[in-house]
Amino acid sequence: MTSMTGQVSSGTSPKAHVVGVADYAVLRGPTNEIITHALGSCIGVTIFDPTTHVGGMLHFMLPDSKINNDKASDSPAMFADTGIPLLFKHAYELGAKKENLIVCAAGGAEVLSDGGHFKIGSRNRTVLRKIFWKNNVLLSADDTGGNNSRTLHLSLADGTVTVRNRGKGEVLWPI
Amino acid sequence: MADLNTLISELESLPTLPSTSSRLVAMLGDRDVDMGEVSDIVRIDESLSLAVLRYANSVAYGTPGREFNLRESIIRLGSDALLKIVLQQQVGQVVTRSCKAFDMSREAMWRNAIGGAVAAENLARQHYPDDRDICFVAGLLRDVGKLVLDQKYGESYAESVSKYLTPETTFVDAERMAFGTDHAEVGGALCRHWQLPERISLAVQHHHTPPEPGDRHDMLIDIVHAADIISLWSGLGIGQDGLRYELAPHVKTALSLSRRKAEREIAAMWDAVRSIEETLGMSTGKDERSAA
Repeated sequence: MTSMTGQVSSGTSPKAHVVGVADYAVLRGPTNEIITHALGSCIGVTIFDPTTHVGGMLHFMLPDSKINNDKASDSPAMFADTGIPLLFKHAYELGAKKENLIVCAAGGAEVLSDGGHFKIGSRNRTVLRKIFWKNNVLLSADDTGGNNSRTLHLSLADGTVTVRNRGKGEVLWPI
Repeated sequence: MADLNTLISELESLPTLPSTSSRLVAMLGDRDVDMGEVSDIVRIDESLSLAVLRYANSVAYGTPGREFNLRESIIRLGSDALLKIVLQQQVGQVVTRSCKAFDMSREAMWRNAIGGAVAAENLARQHYPDDRDICFVAGLLRDVGKLVLDQKYGESYAESVSKYLTPETTFVDAERMAFGTDHAEVGGALCRHWQLPERISLAVQHHHTPPEPGDRHDMLIDIVHAADIISLWSGLGIGQDGLRYELAPHVKTALSLSRRKAEREIAAMWDAVRSIEETLGMSTGKDERSAA
C-alpha cells in the first residue's frame, strides 16, 4: 500500500489520485482530484478546505484497530479509529483549518442477509459518527448503507463530491 | 430467456487453460511427482519461471544471502506451494479479464479472484487443513462464470438482471429470473468444460447456495461461500451485483463465524492479497476502475 500524503500539485491539468483500499491521500491545489473505487462495507471519507484547496480522502475497511495492533501500526488507514486522525492530521499539515472543513462519507453497505449478526458496514458507520461526534466534526453529507458498491470522487477545484452507485453518478456535495 | 445449454455452447470460444497449467495441475496432484519433470515444464514458460523464482527467493521462503535457481526453487517450494503459484499465475491470467456484464475492470476481477482464494485458504487453515489448496483453487475460480455471461451479453447483462431486483432479492435469484441461470451455475459448467475435479466444479456452482448438512454437503463449498462473503465485506472486486448476496446460517455455524472473527479474516485476507501482489511484482492494485 502506498499512502500518498502531502502531495502538492500546482499543474494545470487535473490529476485523479486513486486511493486504494486501506489507503488515504491528502493533496493541495485546485487542479487535483481524488477517487476511490469499490466501497463495499468499507467507508470513504472526504475532507476539503475551500480556502486553501486542501483536500483528502480515506478508504477504511474496519472500525476498530484493537483487533490487531500490529496491523494498525503497519496499515493505519485500514481502521476508522487510526485512519481518520491520520487524514485530518495531514490535512492540517498542508494548511487546512478544522473550522473550514467540509466532510462527507460514502459506503458502509451490507450483504443482503447475514442474520443481523455481523453488520460490518453498520459498525463502520457507527464508529465513524462516534469519532466525529467526540471531535466536534459535522458530516456535511453522506451516502451510506444499502447493498451496493460505490465509487467516491472529490474535486479540489470546488470541493464537489460525487458518488457513483450502480452506474449512476450523483453529486453528494454541494447539496 | 436463455437456457444453460445455450450458454454452454458459447464456452468453446472462451480461452482454454494454458497447456502448461493443465499438465502441471495434473502432475502436482500426484504425491510421487518427479520434480525434475515439473522443472522441465516450468522452465519453458518464462513468466511462470519468474514467478517461481520470486516466491522461492521471497522473504517468506528464501534464505538470506542465498539465491536459488529454478530447479532448487521448485524442490524447495514443494508440490502444494507450486500448485498455488501455477494457479495464481496462469489460471489467474484466464479469470482476470475485464467484465462489463458486472462492471468490473481486469484489476477488479483479479482482486475478486485472489481475495476469495486467500480467504478460502485462511478459513481452510482453521477448519479444513488437509484441503487448503483445493479451497484456494475453488475460491480463485468461483466467479469465472461472470466472464461467460460477459462474453454472451456484455454490459446489458446487469441491466437486464436489475429489472428483477427488489430490496429483498439476491442478485443470483434475479439472474435466474432474467436468464434462467446464474453466474455460479455457468461457472460450474465452465470448470467441467475445463475438466477440473468435480468437487471444484460443484463448489463454484454452489458458492452462493451451499447445500445444508446432508447428502450433498461439502465443507469445501461452505468455505468458498464464506470466503465470497468476506471478499464482499472487504470491497475487493465488487461489481454491479454489489453486496446482494446472503450468508447461509449453517455456514456461519459450521465455521464459528463471529463478528470479531469476520473482521480478523477481512484484515488477514487484505494482507495476503497485498503480499501476493508484491511477490508477483504487480502494482499495488489501486486501480479498481469499472469496466464501463
